[in-house]
Amino acid sequence: MEELINKLKGEIIEQLNLEDVKKEDIDNDAPLFGEGLGLDSIDALELIVLLEKNYGIKVANPADGKKIFQSIRTMAQYIQDNKK
Amino acid sequence: MEAYIKGIGIISPQKTFDTKDFLSDVVEYDTNSLRCIEPSYRDYLNPTLARRMGRIIKMGIAASSVCFKDSGIAMPDAIMTGTALGCLEDTEKFLLAIIENDEQFLTPTSFVQSTHNTVSAQIALQLKCMNYNFTYVHKGFSFESSVLDGLMTIAEGNGKNILVGGHDEMTDKYYRVCDRVNYWKKETTPTMELIKSKTEGSIAGEGAAFFMLSADKSEKDYAKLRSIKFIYKPESQKEIETRLNEMLAEKGLKPADIDVVVYGNNGDTRYDGVYDQLRDSFFSNSTSAYFKHLCGEYQTSGSFAMWVAANILKTQSVPPSILIGDKKHSQIKNVLIYNGFMGTDHAAFLLSQC
Repeated sequence: MEELINKLKGEIIEQLNLEDVKKEDIDNDAPLFGEGLGLDSIDALELIVLLEKNYGIKVANPADGKKIFQSIRTMAQYIQDNKK
Repeated sequence: MEAYIKGIGIISPQKTFDTKDFLSDVVEYDTNSLRCIEPSYRDYLNPTLARRMGRIIKMGIAASSVCFKDSGIAMPDAIMTGTALGCLEDTEKFLLAIIENDEQFLTPTSFVQSTHNTVSAQIALQLKCMNYNFTYVHKGFSFESSVLDGLMTIAEGNGKNILVGGHDEMTDKYYRVCDRVNYWKKETTPTMELIKSKTEGSIAGEGAAFFMLSADKSEKDYAKLRSIKFIYKPESQKEIETRLNEMLAEKGLKPADIDVVVYGNNGDTRYDGVYDQLRDSFFSNSTSAYFKHLCGEYQTSGSFAMWVAANILKTQSVPPSILIGDKKHSQIKNVLIYNGFMGTDHAAFLLSQC
């Protein structure tokens, strides 16, 4: 799980161009949106594409997004549970 | 149709950003593709917003910010920009993603930022400016069109302070595409040797320059912009000279009244003859200057030329690095820019001392 979290952080930094953010700056349990990394709705779309492209996971129900993208840990957990 | 140039902000391959220095320390290049000397954007952009922006958007916002500061105008009555290529880097990113991912997994960011009007829109968003906002995409007439619109807006009384600008970026891919249609020189040409070269092709360039045009005169204005003319695909040298005579006559001037002419020589033997003939006959009494060895060839290079002309009038000097020949005038009242892009889109700007 820790390995996946670390990999995911790198992918998010690259995909969202978080130039000034390092992996160690991202708290595994901090909110991704609003506070924490301060991501917004465009970033949410980027993250959905990232899940599909890198892990083959399609977020079928948009309502699940709030739970999946709560933090890095919840995202990693979702990947671990759904990866094909 | 006249306006005062109240402020300027420019990012170019020279040290032009946020400085009053006028080409005292020219950067010489030994490459056929010049890139801008970019500032640190932290002072001009919110990092959260900046992370989504491509290079040309950051350059546009930073250059316009300096223009606002220089002019003392915080909120323009209109924003008009010109760009031939728009946000090319983001366009390439988006198109490449379509191909690489087989038309799937397309993310919104580069698409959203890839439109031609992104720069003028982002400037307006930063200012919360809801006034007239327009982007002209007319190849070699893009910047010139924004200037014409600015002058017309002031003449019609629809605004007093108008931000006009030109911006285009060079990318490796675009350089290669243009190279295939012989835009660029095949041999590496040191920039200071550009107009001495006797071969086809030019050197590639890029830049972002903004000007605050104002209806009101003030002490610190750079120059008065008095006229702009477009000459599309001139059929002969005679046609160019006739059009220039008309332009000058409208302002009560003759060719001999032009103290300095800033030419768009780009070192390409296919196109430089036009400038050389003007210099040798039509403007034979004027001081001659050129600029594309400093910024490279690009569709909105007229904006760099306008920065040069405005500073010639403001400083009453022609730096040695841009001078052609040795004719010099002790007082510089009138400057004319004659510039063209690849032989098709020719434009002339007339600027005078305030």
